[in-house]
Amino acid sequence: MTTRSLPKLALTHGAMILLALLAIVPIYWMIVTALRPAGDIFETTLWPTQVTFGNFTYVFDAIPMMRMLWNTFLMASAMTIAQLLTGLMAAYALTRWRFRGAKAAQALIALSWLVPFQVTMIPNYVLSTKLGLLNTTTGLVLPNAAAAFAVLLLLNAMKSFPKQVIDAARMDRAGHARILWEIIVPNLRAPLAALAVLSFISAWNEYFWPLLLIRRIDNAVVQIGLQMFMSQEGNQWGPLMAAATLASLPVLVIYLVLHRQVIESFMKSGIK
Amino acid sequence: MTETSIPSAVPRIDTAPRRRRLSGLTSGLVPWLYLAPVLAVLFVWIYWPLFRSFQLSFTQWNMLPTATPRPVGWENYTNLLALPELQQAAMNTVWYVVGLLPLSVIIPLFIAILTQDLRGPMRNLYRSLIFVPMIVPPIVAAVLWRWLLNRDYGLVNMILAGVGFDPVSFFSDPDIALWTMVWITGWKLMGFSTLLFSAANGTIDPGYLEAARMDGASDWQITRDIRLPLLSPTILLLVMMTVLFGAQWSFVYINAITDGGPLGSTSNIFFLMWKYGFQTFSAGWSATAGVMTFVTFGLLALALQALSRKMTFHDD
Repeated sequence: MTTRSLPKLALTHGAMILLALLAIVPIYWMIVTALRPAGDIFETTLWPTQVTFGNFTYVFDAIPMMRMLWNTFLMASAMTIAQLLTGLMAAYALTRWRFRGAKAAQALIALSWLVPFQVTMIPNYVLSTKLGLLNTTTGLVLPNAAAAFAVLLLLNAMKSFPKQVIDAARMDRAGHARILWEIIVPNLRAPLAALAVLSFISAWNEYFWPLLLIRRIDNAVVQIGLQMFMSQEGNQWGPLMAAATLASLPVLVIYLVLHRQVIESFMKSGIK
Repeated sequence: MTETSIPSAVPRIDTAPRRRRLSGLTSGLVPWLYLAPVLAVLFVWIYWPLFRSFQLSFTQWNMLPTATPRPVGWENYTNLLALPELQQAAMNTVWYVVGLLPLSVIIPLFIAILTQDLRGPMRNLYRSLIFVPMIVPPIVAAVLWRWLLNRDYGLVNMILAGVGFDPVSFFSDPDIALWTMVWITGWKLMGFSTLLFSAANGTIDPGYLEAARMDGASDWQITRDIRLPLLSPTILLLVMMTVLFGAQWSFVYINAITDGGPLGSTSNIFFLMWKYGFQTFSAGWSATAGVMTFVTFGLLALALQALSRKMTFHDD
């Protein structure tokens, strides 16, 4: 460990640089293509010889991009808040009390991610149709208002929360809602923030359920809008890359600001 | 919640017994009230539909609200199992998982061990960069790889042409298309897995390594006898994730790029369920394929769980 040979160091950096390039070049190429004028789309210079935002204006004219971004933002925010709230309550119940059925409840929650979406999609689609949830944001949020990973992550965080503090609050005759809201939540700021970032990014990238539920482009989230745009425009690479850039911009901006926290929270929760 | 409503001005002597009685009464119910939102969502949107799918798998139904599902017994199962389309999709599902394992486990493990001594500011830069694909929306990944791997003008074929190779039809050659889908799925995971292995590698007690080195162990011996056993829980976690979810993750790319083609070569079981459900509207078949998949992967999960209890080594 102390003796670091030069070839080994080169190999180390070489491997990392290769992996970093593999990760970044495709995204860079997407942005650069989006900035090239239609006539230069096929050029392979690293930076466009001529920069234009024409592809972006084309996208805004062709599809209701702003509206879709707003729809996606609404859905992702609502889903995040719902998952945090339901997760907090469930995690509190499972750490605060020992009761008959607690193990079973926890197992039901943990096992839910073993059920593939495709297995439940037809009954869910039928139910949503009956409830009039097609083409609505509510319909997008409801099935995802609780998430197993949110409960389990908060459960872990709460387990390490000092029992004495809660007992002291009980002595002051604080009710459970107050203990949860005024004592536990402020102390769980870090895991809650991590979970919020994770939920928001997962919700933003959500694809399958919106694909089923949303049939009108005005109600579409941006992922579905992008898919519709792709089947319409086929090989209009400039506008397509502009639309793809816009669809990933919010998560990329979040990542630019919070990359360390984002990495941490993804690693803690496993893959979602 | 009931207890917050008790005014604190009430004399202590009075409330004490009542409170005890109240909490004795409610303690059975209160936890369930707190669990209710999560359980309700899971019940309505996961477990009940799962049960409904079991029922549907014994019926024939075109999903029209006016038609009622017609019971057909085990017919869907026997028909599907004899169907070449399903056999191909099932086999492809295996290939997806097998193809993903190098990208999600083996290469990341190798890179994590190779780069373990990396320190300093570059380390953080690499970390931040290699993780990016993980957060890119899957449909964006589909769109941008469709462009990069385009036969005539894609960057990859341009580079291949530059070094003298013929252009490759990444999406329309039946022998290659599946591996293209695997690559796009794996592209999103590679950096994430590498970071997960690096983190686990970083928690290994340097004392072990020092001791082994003093005894004259080579780098390879240290890797084989110390690092790999201590990394085994992470290895198994990622293997399990890949086996259980790998084929599901590739759904977006199949649906957005190849639609299962060419000649069904990129279709897998999850795409087939989708196709039966929402392209040909045979709900019974979709449900049947779903039930068979769920049972298979459920058993696989149990087996992997048992394996991980037996095989992994924990440093206590």
